[in-house]
Amino acid sequence: MKNAKLKIGLIAMTSLGMMWGSSATFAAEKRCTAGGQKVECPTITEAEAKKASAAFLKEGDDMEAGKGGSTYGIAPFDYLTGVGKRSDVAAAGAKAGTYKTESGYGHQQAGSLKTELWDRVKAPKSDGVSDKSVYDQWSGNWSPTFAGADPTQGKNYYYSYCIACHGWLMHGDGPSASELDPRPRTLTRGDYMQKKTNLELFTVIKGGGEAVSLSSSMPNWGNVLQDQDIWNIVAFIRAMQDVKPPASVAEYLNPKSTFKPIAGDVDALTASKSKDFQEANETLESDMTGRAPGSELVGGGFVEGGNRKKPSEVSVKVAK
Amino acid sequence: MQGKYKFLMVSALSASCLMSGAVNAADKSLAIPGWQMAVPDGKDTPTIDPMILYSSGGVDGKMAVIGIPSFKTYRHIDCGVDTHEISFGGSNKGNKNGTPDGKYVYLNDKGANTVCEFDLQTGYLARVIALPFPFGVHHIAMSTDGKNMFATGEYSGKMLKMDIKSGKTEVIDWGPSPSAPDYIDATRNGKYVFAGNYYHSTVGVFSTSPFKLIKEIPVGKNPHGTDINPESTMVAVSDKLSATMTIIDVDKLAVKKVLPTCAGPLHSVMDVYNKDGGSYRAGIDSPDGLTSKYVYESCFVADANVKVSYAKLEVVDEIPTHYRTGHISISPDNSYVLSLNKFSTGLFSPTGIVFPVNFEMWDAREKSPTYGKTLRIMPVDGEPHNAKGLMAYLIKDWTKGQAEDGGLITGRTDLLDPPHRALSKRYFIPKETTAPGVKVVDGVKEVHMKAFSYGYIPRQVRVNKGDKVRLFATNIDKASGITKNPDVTMGLTIYGPYGQRSNMDLPRGVTGVHEFTAEIAGEYEIFCTHFCGPLHLEMRAAFFVDDPKKGPSNLAVGDYDAAQKLPGLLEEGQLTVSERVKGL
Repeated sequence: MKNAKLKIGLIAMTSLGMMWGSSATFAAEKRCTAGGQKVECPTITEAEAKKASAAFLKEGDDMEAGKGGSTYGIAPFDYLTGVGKRSDVAAAGAKAGTYKTESGYGHQQAGSLKTELWDRVKAPKSDGVSDKSVYDQWSGNWSPTFAGADPTQGKNYYYSYCIACHGWLMHGDGPSASELDPRPRTLTRGDYMQKKTNLELFTVIKGGGEAVSLSSSMPNWGNVLQDQDIWNIVAFIRAMQDVKPPASVAEYLNPKSTFKPIAGDVDALTASKSKDFQEANETLESDMTGRAPGSELVGGGFVEGGNRKKPSEVSVKVAK
Repeated sequence: MQGKYKFLMVSALSASCLMSGAVNAADKSLAIPGWQMAVPDGKDTPTIDPMILYSSGGVDGKMAVIGIPSFKTYRHIDCGVDTHEISFGGSNKGNKNGTPDGKYVYLNDKGANTVCEFDLQTGYLARVIALPFPFGVHHIAMSTDGKNMFATGEYSGKMLKMDIKSGKTEVIDWGPSPSAPDYIDATRNGKYVFAGNYYHSTVGVFSTSPFKLIKEIPVGKNPHGTDINPESTMVAVSDKLSATMTIIDVDKLAVKKVLPTCAGPLHSVMDVYNKDGGSYRAGIDSPDGLTSKYVYESCFVADANVKVSYAKLEVVDEIPTHYRTGHISISPDNSYVLSLNKFSTGLFSPTGIVFPVNFEMWDAREKSPTYGKTLRIMPVDGEPHNAKGLMAYLIKDWTKGQAEDGGLITGRTDLLDPPHRALSKRYFIPKETTAPGVKVVDGVKEVHMKAFSYGYIPRQVRVNKGDKVRLFATNIDKASGITKNPDVTMGLTIYGPYGQRSNMDLPRGVTGVHEFTAEIAGEYEIFCTHFCGPLHLEMRAAFFVDDPKKGPSNLAVGDYDAAQKLPGLLEEGQLTVSERVKGL
């Protein structure tokens, strides 16, 4: 556990970069506080991390051999979307000698928003799902809502950027988790997450672990994602609080979160008026990659694109 | 496991008319382990190729010259560190192959922030044009008159327009940050430049003169390919994370249609026909009035190429590829689509710690009995980005003393290759487990980095000017991110003056070490040089070299004039140093 003894502070945000000394200690239990109180560190055990990593590796090896119902697919995504699954060459409607996927490619779908990669909705009969509405709910059935941000959009980026460490179901069991010490947070643990303010979550995503005196293994994403993208990810994390591993497709598509908004906290809608937020954001921006003071290349802006909406224009369907 | 896989591939290949039978030699050679097939006598591929493919070598820093349809590699020509986009001199009229005039082909080096100019007739590197810093060139596009080149500054959020002959360059900002302009194309009427920006999730429209941003058009998430049809009426945008193709109407500068295409779309290429409906022959046919029928899009995650009809604006076919197609190219006669695949899992014999990527050629002739079938698949060197083809008749035969009649060269021609092998100290050590960060050991700044899909830890590294740096980089992936490729190799390069000194393959199980002195201040982006997955481009970090006299470096503070001269790599006079100008 010697590697866990990291001394990491805000000094990392200065021009000195990240430094540590082997004599300094920063014990694991002290790292984990929430709401000013010490709490149990919400991470998986080393054994669990190794198991998750081995499982992922096996899936890669299986893929090489063509096992697992996916030709060369991106399981578990293809479970939902059909991406990577190929139908029989002779299937009805398929041109002889060519391949058609079961995912609906090549067929018109109403509304461009439904073409997002991970939200492609078509109920495969093999899953025993006859009610297509179950699938449709995936992109709009959140509980609860989060002001000014859209969990569906955040989910897209979570699955692109975050799953390598935080895992498919946000349990901190991504394939790279076993290589990291300290291990990535389990993001679904309500006893911990309910005490973390939105501002803290925004700060750690935008500025990385060093911005909140935590592990340097959490990179800063502020030079990859715009502020609204980060709020969307926060909304997704909030929507997955205490959500258990699903036992059915229906459960998987209808995550029931226990999150309750924290009094006095900022959210995407109120951030622009919050002095605390602005101070924190200025500190984060001051040392961010890709900024050029005195030019158009300053950060924190909003650009419409990639289904990104301004906080005031976000409307999210909430499950009753 | 692999045996079964190879069997599938052989089945696919033997369906082609070029490789059928496979009885004679194979039967006699059962003693050779892994023997798969042999080409029957007299049925080998032609040795004279009517078309030539010029391919950027990516991380090997070279340009490969490959025959079509033989799919045999003729030669590799050195350029630099990490090469990306091929663009023929002449005119951009036509499809992505343009209208080559047979004089030069250009190749941008993302690792060194340069553009290499190759003389097509001598087959040598003719000139290296050093672009201004900070920039971080991702792709280049030829102008319609062939005089200017446009380029995207992926690592700085900037765009440039360059006068190719003089090297004079105009650079403009495209904010706000984060901003990553990557793929670029220019309309065939000289009016606009379109470029995707994967952080903004938009396509920027630039007027060519004056060179400025006039509009941003919102598209799907993290767009990549931004490709204009020969008629200059439509732009096909590959919305990488949205599984769609956004078609932009060039006249209205607005989205015309968003169509679902495939998982992980990356690039598009289209066919091109002359006025009479035949293949467009550059130099013979008029470059005006060219048309296109289909646009082919590469699908990284779906392992496929989709064929989209321009008339219907919908997918009309999907061709499986092997595997993980990145770029896509088309033969100049529209017969073959070349799928530039990033992963070759189970396809070839291992020849080292890094598995080769491959090129796959499938038959795009609708009336051919082998339509849609893979005709050839070959392992290739490096990690090629784009490739473009020209008709072989544009290259004169100089091989038998024909140059004695004159006309090959007109003046002194420096032999510049290989220009980028200096000051490079790199080695492997067994996989280390040191935590990520920076520490000082015996006066050397030791930087420990982890590479995962998709990013680096730490994402920002700061050292001081003059520091001796020892950079340890370890690939911690088990299988690449969301796509689970088992044979993932990462890469790490600090672009610019540290390019070749930091250029490192990161296969699993070892740690790559680079040693150099950080003598040039500035902010230089670190990027992945092996195509590791759909978010390969987003796999970035930043290397800051701070000059204590000037304060922390950023895109406005750094020794950027010194950086542009790429010290130690080329002698004075061998490098065209682009002069920055306002208004071009």
